[in-house]
Amino acid sequence: MATASIHQGVQPALARIVGASKTYGAGENQVTALSDATLDIMPGEVTLIEGPSGSGKTTLISILGLLLTPTTGEIWLEGQNVAGLGERHLPALRARHFGFVFQGFNLFPALTALENVSMAIQMKDPTFKRPKDEARRLLEQVGLGPRVHHLPADLSGGQKQRVAIARALGGNPPIIIGDEPTAALDTKTALSVMELLRELATTHGRAVVVVTHDPRLERFADRVVRVEDGRISSVDSPRSHA
Amino acid sequence: MWTLARKLLLHDRLRFAVAIAGVSVSVMLVLVQVGLYFGFMDTASSIIDASKADIWVGKESNESFEFATPFDDRTYYKVASVPGVAATQRVLMGFAQLKLADGGDIGVQVVGVDPQDHPLLGPWNVVAGDARRLGEAGAIVLDRSEYGKLKIDRIGHATEISGVRAEVVAMTSGIRSFTTSPIVFADTKTARSFFPMGGEPVTYVLVDVAPGASIADVKARIDALPHLAAYTTPEMSDRTRTYWSQRTGVGAGFFTTAVLGVIVGFVVVGQILYSGTLQYLREYGTLKAMGARNSAVVKVILAQAMISALLGFIVGAPLAMGMRAAMAGANLTVALSPELYAVTAGLTAVMCAAAALLSIVKVLRLDPASVFKG
Repeated sequence: MATASIHQGVQPALARIVGASKTYGAGENQVTALSDATLDIMPGEVTLIEGPSGSGKTTLISILGLLLTPTTGEIWLEGQNVAGLGERHLPALRARHFGFVFQGFNLFPALTALENVSMAIQMKDPTFKRPKDEARRLLEQVGLGPRVHHLPADLSGGQKQRVAIARALGGNPPIIIGDEPTAALDTKTALSVMELLRELATTHGRAVVVVTHDPRLERFADRVVRVEDGRISSVDSPRSHA
Repeated sequence: MWTLARKLLLHDRLRFAVAIAGVSVSVMLVLVQVGLYFGFMDTASSIIDASKADIWVGKESNESFEFATPFDDRTYYKVASVPGVAATQRVLMGFAQLKLADGGDIGVQVVGVDPQDHPLLGPWNVVAGDARRLGEAGAIVLDRSEYGKLKIDRIGHATEISGVRAEVVAMTSGIRSFTTSPIVFADTKTARSFFPMGGEPVTYVLVDVAPGASIADVKARIDALPHLAAYTTPEMSDRTRTYWSQRTGVGAGFFTTAVLGVIVGFVVVGQILYSGTLQYLREYGTLKAMGARNSAVVKVILAQAMISALLGFIVGAPLAMGMRAAMAGANLTVALSPELYAVTAGLTAVMCAAAALLSIVKVLRLDPASVFKG
């Protein structure tokens, strides 16, 4: 079995999945979506998760992002196995640890870029002071300072994804999970978005986990985790970054 | 939360306009129907409510205020002699035919009262003429709202009621009958001349209880007299309202329409909120995935419901006022009180919140992991 736990002893992992499996149904109808997956998520690293459709990539990042409870296995966060925690405790953990970026952006079309980001910050933490100031700072960080008052309809695909990245950064989570965040973008835009994610890892020490089908993104990755038939089949470390 | 709710609603202005229209129609229907009901009820008990009597005494067998059967004048003296009674006044009520100027006839509701220096009941809201002339033979007082129907155009107009000469000596404002027959005030003696029953009938005896005496005690003493029933003025008013509301089904009719109005608002707002929730389901899922609690997302939906309720009420209430003005021209009273506005506003908020329930359930059941599924 290949595992992605190659950094033990170097620095502490931000999150760790140990022997996680996910099965649906029972008896003859039982389907195994993920089997015995182990993965460490390290600060400052970009991890790509590749694999064919239906291989278990989405199940893996859903378990990592505390959106799906594994049937067996452990998820370690803050030195604690959180795999058995109930739904009551998970929103706060997700808000503290994860930001999500999606292929379809999932921005509220009625809200400006600034409002989309500030609203997400406030939803994550209702006690957050001056969420608009923080949202403006994050939008400037992703290069959208001049377009903070634009509606999503007035932004290009790349700009929308940058807004989504700024939204994911709201609340300062250490781990950003992207579900094919470049799939809806042209090559040039896709690469610029990956450059941004790479920079967030390198400069700001965030862990970035990206599910993708696009091998051109490997040059931005510290690790490439391949998932096939519900198992982590290999873990590679590409030689160079963009 | 409010900003997001407002912007989500306003993003699709046509859909938002439909929602506001639905709530507005609902608010207007509720206000107008319930207002009409209260207006009718105020009209039904207006004579009783305008009296200064402590107690109304009538026949035990009476069910309706207007269609009460009279008793003999001797009973009046029995009531007047009950300990604790300070003053009494006869009231004779019945229906008669008034001769119109063009030769036709119209039914009127005659209210005969004893003329007194300090009457317990008499014409009120007198706006023209002299109601003190009511003691003159054949003198009558009419309401100006009935002038058109009765084809009367002035004080001093002479006509006939049941073939007996009658002359208008004063005009009132705002006194209308629930039975739609115009009310004609007259002296008891004049009123008796309009009815062919003979004798000295009395329909009600109004009682003023002596200072220091207990109204309840005096009422109980009168109640003990054979074949009589005594009611305090508020009891008599309630009894009359209840009779018209329940026995005739008029209350159920008005409230059914009001409930239909609420249902219309509920369905329209519910459908609009639900379709809006479906439209933004992925966005709500994204917020939940990133750690937003269910309560935070539910608040956004409830805020949309409350904005719809508020704006719907702001539009619907003036519409109801316009309807009231239009109906006043048809002699219909829509009683819109501050209390009715307040209750309707609360009902609108509850209706919109209830309409949001389906959307709330949808969001509560939304699996945040679903945002990864396509």
